[in-house]
Amino acid sequence: MTTTAPRPTVTETPQGLSNARVAKKGNVFVDWVTTTDHKKIGYLYLITSFAYFLIGGVMALVIRAQLFAPGLEIVATKEQYNQLFTMHGTIMLLMFATPLFAGFVNVLMPLQIGAPDVAFPRLNALAYWFFNFGSLIAVAGFLTPQGAAAFGWFAYAPLSSQTFSPGLGGNLWVFGLGLSGFGTILGAVNFITTIITMRVPGMTMWRMPIFTWNALVTSILVLLAFPVLAAAMLALGSDRVFGSHVYDAANGGAILWQHLFWFFGHPEVYIIALPFFGIVSEIFPVFSRKPIFGYKTLVYATIAIAALSMTVWAHHMYVTGSVLLPFFALMTMLIAVPTGVKIFNWIGTMWRGSVTFDTPLVFALGFLISFVFGGLTGVILASPPLDFHVSDSYFVVAHFHYVVFGTVVFAMFAGFYFWWPKFTGKMLNESLGHIHFWVLFIGFHLTFLIQHWLGVMGMPRRYATYLPEDGFTWMNQLSTVGSVFLALSMIPFFLNVYLTARNGPKVTVNDPWGFGRSLEWATSCPPPRHNFTSIPRIRSESPAFDLNHPELDLLPAVESSPKAAAGAKK
Amino acid sequence: MKTSIAVLWVLAVYFFILTAVYTVWSLIDTNEVEWIGSVAIGLSGVLSMFIAFYLQIQLKNQGGVLPEDRLEADIDEGDPEIGFYSPWSWWPLVIAAGTAVAFLGLAVGFWVSLYAIPIVLISLIGWTYEYHRGYFAR
Repeated sequence: MTTTAPRPTVTETPQGLSNARVAKKGNVFVDWVTTTDHKKIGYLYLITSFAYFLIGGVMALVIRAQLFAPGLEIVATKEQYNQLFTMHGTIMLLMFATPLFAGFVNVLMPLQIGAPDVAFPRLNALAYWFFNFGSLIAVAGFLTPQGAAAFGWFAYAPLSSQTFSPGLGGNLWVFGLGLSGFGTILGAVNFITTIITMRVPGMTMWRMPIFTWNALVTSILVLLAFPVLAAAMLALGSDRVFGSHVYDAANGGAILWQHLFWFFGHPEVYIIALPFFGIVSEIFPVFSRKPIFGYKTLVYATIAIAALSMTVWAHHMYVTGSVLLPFFALMTMLIAVPTGVKIFNWIGTMWRGSVTFDTPLVFALGFLISFVFGGLTGVILASPPLDFHVSDSYFVVAHFHYVVFGTVVFAMFAGFYFWWPKFTGKMLNESLGHIHFWVLFIGFHLTFLIQHWLGVMGMPRRYATYLPEDGFTWMNQLSTVGSVFLALSMIPFFLNVYLTARNGPKVTVNDPWGFGRSLEWATSCPPPRHNFTSIPRIRSESPAFDLNHPELDLLPAVESSPKAAAGAKK
Repeated sequence: MKTSIAVLWVLAVYFFILTAVYTVWSLIDTNEVEWIGSVAIGLSGVLSMFIAFYLQIQLKNQGGVLPEDRLEADIDEGDPEIGFYSPWSWWPLVIAAGTAVAFLGLAVGFWVSLYAIPIVLISLIGWTYEYHRGYFAR
């Protein structure tokens, strides 16, 4: 038993498969499109979704410009305005936020559980290409004579039928999203399998980083929600193309569509929120120099949010007058409890910690503040009597931008600044990062805070213009000015990325922040092809911290024969 | 493994309880069952139970606790054979392209989808046998 066979640590290259293929400079393109490396696929996801973030952002700027003053005609026709807000919503939700989740999880989750790759590397690549091609099909509607889909991103029946929204744009939207939805489902299957079967010895479920826990729970949510979307989309496609009558208003199809869409749509909100809660849960402990406060309650809160989020969908449908109001109001308000637990945990992590305001933490704080605002208006909207008044107004627009922008964008940048050295081997510049944060933060709140009052005063969402007598003008102008700041905040970010790539000093240590906790900080920056040359012993949820700070003596004393001790204990 | 099973069972039980609550509540409140939601929550429960049940069978068959579920496991207790990972592959791109053409055809005109059939068939075969025959056989 004591002798162990020597094990080769270097994978030998099979005969005829030399590395020359990759080493040639001209093959970089081929290397990326044929990759099955989870990190590269993750970067593909991150790059593609960020490109869609910029495209959707430009659309938002055009929308804001159109609303700058009453009666403007920046957008030539009202129909084009409809296309803009439809595709803005679609792009931001399904081509930016959802694949961004897949991107972060792809790059980081295998690193955090000590796996060499995801469970099904080729399926992973397939999921990415489904997403990429599906999104291309959906946005290709802009190239058709009638333009892209214009029925709003939730495509209510019967407006989305061939009768009321004729044209190829709608068809392309339906089938493109169907394809991209399959990609998301396949990605989720891959993540669940990886987390359940490929953890490194000692990495029990209760030692996984919070980010990985959230990735697991999010993937389960994807499995529950996205098949409903795919089915609903294909049925809508069959209505539009083959003339079936699934969503015919005569058979109650309007309500059927709303139920199916929101049965996907509400969990979707948490699909794009939970992984980003995971990102900030990784960042708070590192920059507070304290372990996460209430690890288990955070996990329980995540599971509770996931469970509750499946049973609240009809709060998007209060104004239809045909849903069970008390049930959905109660369930929706219950979500505030686990979410509140999380917020207490994050604050508790920073409480009495040695907090340093590095860029990732600053962005995480920006997330926390914005998200709490959005959560508060969420409780207001959960109450049917209040919702009846502000439904489909700019109050709702302000609410979901606080929740979704606050979570996804702030936490995304927090994650970028935090893991940039792990991704690229170079640290982003701190001063530019702080400038980026403040312009973004001020721009964001300038744009969306005023929209709460705009909605309360009665401005409906999705209207292409308004009258001077409405009294909305100065509020809209403030909002548009804010959106310009928001857009300008991308300049310091891109400058930062460019300057870092050009002049940034190389990171030579595994953990450039000095207090990294989870396993990804125990490998090089960037990690080798299969992630680890050696993995430290795992005795807590922060193995890299235990490895790099032995002076703190957080580990139980090393027994002379750990295996024997383990056996005796059992 | 036990934890993942527990999480999925918790979800399944929650969904089943909520199916009952939702169905009965809407029956009391509106005198009719709201079928879409009841079926959807119920099926969510079935899906969670399905995965939990499968994992339970796997747990039973694997014979004992795996090192990744033991608190005192060392790294070298893991299976030295960590499996085969495809180094790179053209097939995901080709399958996705074929499927995309098929979906595009559904949207713009069915004849386009016909061109996707050979692409999808060839790439499916290519994907399946990629590491079983020829140059890359293992």
